[in-house]
Amino acid sequence: MKLIAKGAEACIYSLSAFGKEFVLKRRERKDYRVPELDLRLRAERTRSEARTMLRLHAIGVRVPGLIALGKFSICMEKLEGMLLKDTQKTGGIFTEVGKALALMHDNGTVHGDLTPANVMICNSLPYLIDFGLSSFTNGAEDKAMDLLLMKRAVSSRLYKSLEEAYLTNSRTGKEVILRLADVEKRGRYQNRNLE
Amino acid sequence: MLVLGLESSAHTFGAGISDGGKILANEKAMYKIGATGMIPAEVAETHVENAEGVISAALEKAGILPSDLEGICYTAGPGMGPCLQVAQIAARALASKLKIRIVGVNHCVAHAEITREMGRLSDPIMLYVSGGNSQILALSERPFRHYSVIGETFDIGVGNMLDNFARAANLFPAWGSSVEKASAGGRYLELPYTVKGMDFSFTGLLTRATELTGKVPVNDLSYSVQETAFSELCEATERAILLKGKKEIGVCGGVAQNSRLRQMLQSMASEQGIRFGFAPNEYNADNGGMIAFAGERLLSEGISWKLGECRISQRYRVDSAYVPGG
Ligand SMILES: Nc1ncnc2c1ncn2[C@@H]1O[C@H](COP(=O)(O)OP(=O)(O)O)[C@@H](O)[C@H]1O
Ligand SMILES: [Mg+2]
Repeated sequence: MKLIAKGAEACIYSLSAFGKEFVLKRRERKDYRVPELDLRLRAERTRSEARTMLRLHAIGVRVPGLIALGKFSICMEKLEGMLLKDTQKTGGIFTEVGKALALMHDNGTVHGDLTPANVMICNSLPYLIDFGLSSFTNGAEDKAMDLLLMKRAVSSRLYKSLEEAYLTNSRTGKEVILRLADVEKRGRYQNRNLE
Repeated sequence: MLVLGLESSAHTFGAGISDGGKILANEKAMYKIGATGMIPAEVAETHVENAEGVISAALEKAGILPSDLEGICYTAGPGMGPCLQVAQIAARALASKLKIRIVGVNHCVAHAEITREMGRLSDPIMLYVSGGNSQILALSERPFRHYSVIGETFDIGVGNMLDNFARAANLFPAWGSSVEKASAGGRYLELPYTVKGMDFSFTGLLTRATELTGKVPVNDLSYSVQETAFSELCEATERAILLKGKKEIGVCGGVAQNSRLRQMLQSMASEQGIRFGFAPNEYNADNGGMIAFAGERLLSEGISWKLGECRISQRYRVDSAYVPGG
């Protein structure tokens, strides 16, 4: 097992078995919090990430395939590619992200942490990853937050491609975009720039 | 430059004196919070009674006369309107009498800047935790130098949550520090935990903890409330550190006085291999010294307000205030 990435919550290892490459995402212990809370959060998020991956896979949203599930770890397919944040960003890619998001939201699933660091580009197609903060809800506010995070992180031209595809493909897209305007007006996000 | 700073945004009236970034005096008088919480007009009245004495004490401590002052600053917000007015009116009266320059200071910027100075931090992720506010801040140079908000509470500040819980649990005084004392020897009970990216929420936690008062031991409950709330803050801060690629963490504001919160942030910083810094407690509580410190920097850059334009703003956003230096 080789460590390939270390995020805020998890360590990502690559491993090979049966001549194939896999990724193991393990949520690590945080010494700053009490063990009871630490165990609960790591288990909850691992479970919720796996559940969302399965559900999205079933409805045809591109995600890494789930291979095996442990209490704090998920073994999944390894995507050969780069993070959206580190690649040449094109309108075409953002159109695909918009379509995927529409499908996912119409299904009642929100990502919870949708940034260019949580999208991987593989054979020129976007795959969504990192579902630890995802939830099953049809709330317009939660859906709007998914859009807002992306909007704050990329150029307005790229975001436009995403939003157009989202509106065309989502049944509830219009309501979500209206709510997004509302959220932005509230001020707390007015000057927020996550670059 | 000898500068007097006045603070009265909440329960404290403070007067501080700074000179070349050194704090020569930091005097204060606090409104005693009762079972009913804070009634702004009543607090403001107490500030009016205390103002003169506190200002005189600061001048005496610094060993200067009013006529030695070269500038005056006051907290322009955020805070409670009637309270903010007290420092504003006192500052304007002094500025006009002494014929010296005056400028309004953002309260959050003052907390963050004094902490950057005293905690020896240069470009940190700053966790600002007070009664009414809880935000994750980072310096940003564009379009002007300011603290941008990277994450914040969806609802109430962590300080207000602790105060409200203290009141519900009949802790005395009904104050966040009583929750810290009551948590000694507690055991962890499961409570609602809400973090979304770099934002967090405390109302679900407060509601559940309030329901449980009287049904479980108060030290278990106090302990669990603290652990849950502070873990939320640490998680969001850690995410901000990684997203922004910063190498330092600071904590400021009233709740920064809590030693458990500092211990948790220190543990997280060590894990990340980065520096953690904070100011002495007298600067984490509301105080005039930090207002003098931040105001002196503004005045040194030639920034001051006309007497007739000295405003206050209850909702003065931290990200709309210019931060001097750079
Ligand atoms: N299935 C995968 N295939 C290849 N790389 C992956 C895969 N999943 C995650 N990674 C890599 O690991 C990094 C962190 O994964 P992520 O799930 O986003 O965890 P975190 O919660 O720590 O951000 C990603 O940015 C990516 O580089
Ligand atoms: Mg990630």
